[in-house]
Amino acid sequence: MSNIAFEARSVSKFFPGVKALQNVSMQMREGSIHALLGENGAGKSTLIKLVTGVYRPDEGQLFAGSEPVNFTRPHDAIAAGVGVVHQERNLIPRFSVAENMALSQLANHPITPINYADLNEQAKPWLDILGLDIDPATQVSRLSVAQMQMVEIAKALAQQTRVLLLDEPTASLTPMESKALFDVLQRLRDDGVSMLFVSHKLEEVKEICDTVSVLRDGVNAGENIAMENLERHDLIRLMIGRDESAAKARHSRAGGEAVALELINVSTAQGHKDINLDVKRCEIVGLYGLVGAGRTELAKAIMGAATITDGEVLRDGRTVKIANPTDALHRHKIGYVSENRKDEGLILEHSVLENAGITIWRKSANRLGWLTRAGVKKRTVPFLDKLAVKTPTLNQKVGNLSGGNQQKIAMAKWLAAGVEVLIVDEPTVGIDVNSKAYLHELLHELANDGTAVLLITSDLPEMISLADRILVMDEFVIKGEVKNTGDYKAISQSVMEHIHHSKDELRRAKSAVSG
Amino acid sequence: MSRLFVQSDWVTPMVVALSLGVLISLFNPAFLSTFNIQVLLEAVSINVLIALSQMVIIAIGQMNLSVGALGGLAAVIFAGLMEVFGIPPILAGAMALSVGLVGGLLNGLLIGLTGISAFVITLATLSIFKGLNLAITQAQPFYEIPDSVKLFGNSTLFGPFPVIFIPAALVVVLLVVFFNRLPVGRWLLAVGGNAHSAELSGISTTKTVVIAHAISGLLAACAGILLVARLQLGQPTIGDDWLLMSFAAPIIGGAILAGGHVSTVATVFGVLIVAQITQALVLFNIDPFVVQIVLGLMILTAVTANQWRELRMKHAGQE
Repeated sequence: MSNIAFEARSVSKFFPGVKALQNVSMQMREGSIHALLGENGAGKSTLIKLVTGVYRPDEGQLFAGSEPVNFTRPHDAIAAGVGVVHQERNLIPRFSVAENMALSQLANHPITPINYADLNEQAKPWLDILGLDIDPATQVSRLSVAQMQMVEIAKALAQQTRVLLLDEPTASLTPMESKALFDVLQRLRDDGVSMLFVSHKLEEVKEICDTVSVLRDGVNAGENIAMENLERHDLIRLMIGRDESAAKARHSRAGGEAVALELINVSTAQGHKDINLDVKRCEIVGLYGLVGAGRTELAKAIMGAATITDGEVLRDGRTVKIANPTDALHRHKIGYVSENRKDEGLILEHSVLENAGITIWRKSANRLGWLTRAGVKKRTVPFLDKLAVKTPTLNQKVGNLSGGNQQKIAMAKWLAAGVEVLIVDEPTVGIDVNSKAYLHELLHELANDGTAVLLITSDLPEMISLADRILVMDEFVIKGEVKNTGDYKAISQSVMEHIHHSKDELRRAKSAVSG
Repeated sequence: MSRLFVQSDWVTPMVVALSLGVLISLFNPAFLSTFNIQVLLEAVSINVLIALSQMVIIAIGQMNLSVGALGGLAAVIFAGLMEVFGIPPILAGAMALSVGLVGGLLNGLLIGLTGISAFVITLATLSIFKGLNLAITQAQPFYEIPDSVKLFGNSTLFGPFPVIFIPAALVVVLLVVFFNRLPVGRWLLAVGGNAHSAELSGISTTKTVVIAHAISGLLAACAGILLVARLQLGQPTIGDDWLLMSFAAPIIGGAILAGGHVSTVATVFGVLIVAQITQALVLFNIDPFVVQIVLGLMILTAVTANQWRELRMKHAGQE
């Protein structure tokens, strides 16, 4: 076995009232990818912060190679060859690629004039290693999300990183971009780089990682286990301490049901062309596509938050004009659970009750038009209970709850409003396996109870476990429909064919124009 | 080509400033008289310093409400030291500048160490600086300004170029180098663009915030001193009307209020635009209140234009 590149030996970290990590150990080896798994709140972030010098361990010791190290600030970790690619983008948008990569260098020399040509020279080889065809002088804000991620990796490598931490690197990447990323990671592994890969997507973890450590409630549930001996269900058992409740295959019950929402030749101001789709009562229709395909934009157009320029929207068979989201909710009973729950779905500073009740303030006002707490409670509590939202009290600030619970509240508020059509946009992004399974179950139940659900997701396994049929969108156009047979390989292939086909067409069209 | 125009911040304000100049002189050729240009450049020289004093803070994504109060305090201290203690102008100027520096450091340290928003801290220090000003002056101006200072504030070189244009131009050149070539200048933009990321790269946010406010205080004091020289008077009201101007010019120059992006040259053109409009209204005998309204409308227009440009940039990134 290769040498140890980095090791955490029996580290603990305590916060007032909380044992975030207790006696946790982990070994990363050279030329190897190590997975770090655990549910939200299991202590992954704390461990990463220890390794990158943001926190200091209260007990235990970190080793870089065989040398004990004591990081007092992030810079110490960088100096010891530990680099990290964070979940949130960590580049300066208005700076060039090269300058971003050299930022830690610039931090140490306040008044030495910058030679940008030099910085570009320095950056080029690292971009080449990653197979990135970007001019180092390009401003970062002009790059795609996937390119930014690659630049972050290049930045880490440029800092002589031999231990690279990747915190949910594929969360906002398309499947093809993820694949390109994995190719790069494999090449780095062959060059002897040691990597830590944190992800909620177990398929990816199985595919790319050599060994795995699992955290549960701040302690090791598994330590440096070889991946080849593990199956997906083993990983889940390690993470949640029991078997995953088996995902029930979806039995479509929508056969004879009426169409609840229908779009006929709809075009929008954002560029959707001739969109045709229908969702029946009791049906979950998936809208699959890559980031930027125009799915969220379509949802917003249906909700009346963006302009429909042509075509018809039918609700229960009647043509409707939806002026704005209030209209969609109160007159047409259509709800939208935003992908962006922090900015659009919830008011983090407000309480659970206030958030859940926001859609029904109009209804729960008493005869004088006064809003009473009891009135709001009466209508929302049953749904909060049904979704098993874990909150100490209804007065708890939503911002203090976990991602899974926040998402449940975002859903509860629409259920309380009694919507008949629910558009759900990326419902489980950044949510752990346990809550994810629960949310899936919930969506099934909703559909079975008669709600028409339009599900937007880029997570194909999720699509397959939820949708009756899958519409594929690309470039603001629906490219085709795939029936959900439950066969992951076949579906994945035909979905990709729909998308690639459209890309090839586009390329041909473009070359025809320029030629 | 169109992309170049969208990208470089100073092109649009420059075109607007030049067209304004041409337009006004077509209606009233007196606009181009030597005297008028001199008055225009005098106003620009001082307002550039005021605007840049704010721009440095906008760069880190904060705002400094105390720009005027601190500049005013430095101004009366400059005048007072010369009148009451007979201190030579150079020394008094240096002491007034250090008052600006210390005031700025105070702002920066309070913000950096407490983590309280710059808006609140500088609102409080505004009141403190203004109070000190009134305590020193008893609300009465200092009239005894040495002749050398008066001469410095009111003579010209090569025709219409006021001498006070020289320090302003020097500051502009220094800031262009600072923000484009020196790592410490890039720290300000990095912290304004993504403080978390800057911190992870080893750039100290606290240090950067303190540096920015120190420079801001220094520039405000510099503006105050030049204004004393030009007015030949240590007015306690100096600085009271700087706030609007200090934000207008950087915003017209395309600065992003959230931080991370400012342009020194574009800000200079922003100042020029505002100065020309002010002057035109005087030339055409239009009521001064119109200046305020026009300035307000210009800020709104510029903010809208900046936002539109940001959106276009984001869109370009997704292509």
